[in-house]
Amino acid sequence: MLSLFILLPFFCLIAVNLPVKGARRLAFWLTASLFVLQILAVLLHPSVFWGMKEDLFANFFAINFSVNNLSLVIFLTIGIVGLVSLIIGKYTLANRPDRFHFTNLLLTALIGMNALALLTDLFSMYVFIEVTALSSFILIAVQREKTALEGAFKYLIISTIASALMLSSVALILLVSGSTSFDVVSAALKASSGSVFVKLAVALFLCGPFIKSGLVPFHGWLPDAYSAAPSAVSVLLAGIITKVSGVYVLMKLVMSVFGFTPVIRDILMFAGALSIVFGALAAIGQKDFKRMLAYSSISQVGYIIIGLGCGTKLAIAGAALHFFNHAVFKSLLFTNAAVMEQKLGTVDMDKMGGLTSRMPFTGMTSLIAFLSTAGIPPLSGFWSKLLIVVALWTSGMHGYAAIALLASVLTLAYFLSMQRRVFFGKLRPGLEAVQEAGTGLVITQVALALVILGVGLGFPFMLKTLAPLKNILW
Amino acid sequence: MTQNLLFLPIIIPLAAAIICILTPRNLRPAQAMIALAATLINLLISAALWGRQISFSAPWLGIGFEFSLRLYHFSAFIMLSVASFGFLVTLYSTVFMRDRNSLGQFYAYFLLTLSFAAGAVLADNLLVLLLFWEGLLLALFGMIIIGNKSAFKTATKAFIIVGITDLCMMTGIALTGKLAGTLTMSQINLPLGGLGSVAFILLMIGAISKGGAMPFHTWIPDAAVDAPLPFMALVPAALEKLLGIYFLTRISLDLFQLNPGSWVSVLLMTIGAVTIILAVMMALVQKDYKRLLSYHAISQVGYMILGIGTAVPAGIIGGLFHMINNALYKSCLFLTGGSVEKQAGTTNLEELGGLRSRMPVTFACFVITALAISGVPPFNGFFSRELVYDGALSRGCIFYVAAVAGSFFTAASFLKLGHAAFLGKINDKNKGVKEASFAMLFPMMVIALICVLFGLYNYLPINKLIQPVLGEARLEGHDYSGFPHNITLVLVTVIVLIGALANHIFGVKRTGAGLKAVDHIHYAPGLSQIYSMAEKRYFDPYEIGMKFAQFAARIIWRIDRAIDWVYDSLLTGAAHAFSKVIRGMHTGYYPVYIAWSILGTAAVLLFALK
Repeated sequence: MLSLFILLPFFCLIAVNLPVKGARRLAFWLTASLFVLQILAVLLHPSVFWGMKEDLFANFFAINFSVNNLSLVIFLTIGIVGLVSLIIGKYTLANRPDRFHFTNLLLTALIGMNALALLTDLFSMYVFIEVTALSSFILIAVQREKTALEGAFKYLIISTIASALMLSSVALILLVSGSTSFDVVSAALKASSGSVFVKLAVALFLCGPFIKSGLVPFHGWLPDAYSAAPSAVSVLLAGIITKVSGVYVLMKLVMSVFGFTPVIRDILMFAGALSIVFGALAAIGQKDFKRMLAYSSISQVGYIIIGLGCGTKLAIAGAALHFFNHAVFKSLLFTNAAVMEQKLGTVDMDKMGGLTSRMPFTGMTSLIAFLSTAGIPPLSGFWSKLLIVVALWTSGMHGYAAIALLASVLTLAYFLSMQRRVFFGKLRPGLEAVQEAGTGLVITQVALALVILGVGLGFPFMLKTLAPLKNILW
Repeated sequence: MTQNLLFLPIIIPLAAAIICILTPRNLRPAQAMIALAATLINLLISAALWGRQISFSAPWLGIGFEFSLRLYHFSAFIMLSVASFGFLVTLYSTVFMRDRNSLGQFYAYFLLTLSFAAGAVLADNLLVLLLFWEGLLLALFGMIIIGNKSAFKTATKAFIIVGITDLCMMTGIALTGKLAGTLTMSQINLPLGGLGSVAFILLMIGAISKGGAMPFHTWIPDAAVDAPLPFMALVPAALEKLLGIYFLTRISLDLFQLNPGSWVSVLLMTIGAVTIILAVMMALVQKDYKRLLSYHAISQVGYMILGIGTAVPAGIIGGLFHMINNALYKSCLFLTGGSVEKQAGTTNLEELGGLRSRMPVTFACFVITALAISGVPPFNGFFSRELVYDGALSRGCIFYVAAVAGSFFTAASFLKLGHAAFLGKINDKNKGVKEASFAMLFPMMVIALICVLFGLYNYLPINKLIQPVLGEARLEGHDYSGFPHNITLVLVTVIVLIGALANHIFGVKRTGAGLKAVDHIHYAPGLSQIYSMAEKRYFDPYEIGMKFAQFAARIIWRIDRAIDWVYDSLLTGAAHAFSKVIRGMHTGYYPVYIAWSILGTAAVLLFALK
């Protein structure tokens, strides 16, 4: 019953909006349990659930769902990041109606993203990209602040371009193949691979996810949106929304529909490398904590894309792992940002200093998260970057491998300067009254830090034993 | 069982050294007693081992090396000498060092030196030899460092000089092992020439620098002032000569076939001759008892190297005989210097004088050993010198002239030293000086006695100790003991000695003081400038090397700063500049972002459709 991934959030959405007393109060717990269920479904992998082939919903709408190991990674990431976002929202969104709207929109986005992980039809994918995007526009501006509205507006405008591009591409493809289902399209594209028409359609479609995932030079909207949104939403945007509707869609399409043609590989690797370097360089001089994280996201997405572009099994495994790792450490960093926003009322790094003494958990966990981002062993980020770099090197892309490696130094540079300005050293005068975050947020931070440590330390073990990782290389 | 006896001369001092260093400070007399007992036992064992032939060998390090020791005639002879000096100097130290600091360390290094020296002499494998040889360097460093305040600098100097030459020796050992296919000394017999000569010279550098020949000598005069005196009497005066010349003899006679015709032999003789002349010239003008002696310690090793370098039997026997003679009188001279230092409180010759009546026994020992070192018959130094002269003359007149000139200056400088320290008017400060205690006098008297004995009965050392080293085949039936055969050489020697005495009387007449007896040489035109440059250490290879090292270090530092600038300023500056440009591009004005997206799309389309 794969359609449960879509149906459960849908029913949940209806349930919390029923005009029954107490339904709204249940919203948080219901949604949280939904995310937990999703995480457990992946981790425990109950065969009763995954083995049930008969799917009434899918049959009714005559659509095909398919799940592979990559989808499992996506489900897991969605579950974890969604849960984190929900918890942050509960603690940091001051206004109760806002919180309720936030939960509703989160559920909508969840429907969209889960569907994207399941679908095997171009047009349906387009529809659910839109579902996800629409909910995220509103999420950014959920508190109706001016900067957030501006960020949401930019995202909306530029996303529209993406929609237009993708929709035109779908139209072109429909002309060529007569269907939008993956199998048919894939076969048709292969049959007429030389045609300018097909090339045009593929190139147009690629640009859509590029915009969605914020690759350079399609990234203009991203820093504004990330930094203007409430931290709970930033987590969501950085961790899953842009990643699923952009990066994952790209991975899925390239792997199962378009195929690794040399042109696509060149475009992907070039865009990836450009994003890595540009994102990291731009992050270096930022004053705003969240804005720096946004540029860091651009840089890290570059790693995933460059791994995808390389196209070997090892590279794709590395890309999938980095997808997961990035979601975890970026969620942790945004949680740190949420704590600071809440406790200091600002995310301007020039107004901070020596905060580790006041907020030891936040300081330590952000240290772990940034070391993982920079790819310092034995944290999780090291392994995924290692896989990507090794894969690039062994497939002869020495230049790209070097860029990927050297950019880690830049990552280290901007995060070290962040740590120095925010957490290390003497406490800045005026910050004596700052307190550590509440228990809920501390637990979230520590749990995420433990995931980073656990994946990092356990990786050599996982590499040998964990089926999804071994079999990601389908 | 007898094989294990070989380990005793190594282990007993080693164990005593460990005990000394672990003994608490308040048990200081115990330290001296332990050291004395250990050296006495060591001496008895060495005496008991005399005349035996024992070999020991066991696999070592698990990579095909043998830990092999070999006691035979030559090594037993050196070991016995080492043990004797060790015991006598320890006895002397019990009084001399009584009130010094770091006594535990002093005895520990002292005993370690004895242990390693025994190991180096007994070693029959070049690697084992190297192990003990390097151990000696450590003990040497420790020994100097416990001296006075400037000792650290001197210790570093000694460490670097000896360390570099040991490195040469290490390379030489590797090369020898490669050429011979084995590191067992008793199995190596290589011809000179090509790589063989290179290996020989590398090993020779190790040997003569241990002996203190030029140009590896410059730490010795500094150490003479800084290090504890018994160390000087034992190590540079006696032990290092014994070891260095022992090893030089081994490589010249056993490991390689040094023959009179080879250029290596000429090289050795040149080093010897230059060392004799330059060091004795420096000794001549010194104004410190110990420093003057230390230059003689360098000069005398020149005779030994010259003698062995001649590669003719007379020269080699002379060199070896001179080795043991020098060890005797030089350590005794240092001990007399120690007595003076202990009793009068200084070794500065300008503050000394007229001590003859106050310290008669010390003076007597000084006179005997000074006569011996100057080569006056019938003391031991005379006979060994004559043999060296004999060998040198057979190889070239120039070497003989250098050796005889050295003799002239040696005599002159000891006349000056004796006159300045013991004769003349007594300094007011020294009116209350008394003779040293018996424990200090006894070693001096014993050594002075042996000097006389080895002179009058020179067949004893030459026949029993030295000639067997060369073997019957080399001697060709000759016997080199007894009075020198070449009467002409003896006459020349006597004339030179009389000349030295005349020179001294002339100098004293001219200036009126014993200390200034050689001023006419010191301030002679041309020489005085060279002397003042030498005093400023312009000729010290260590100082030159250090200057070069500092120069190189400055250049490397500049390069390092440049590299640092590339990382610290250039790269980060570039990153920040790029960052600024990129940040400037993000104006927040959304049409710009739209334009980027459209341009990006256009680029993708162009690339895909090309």
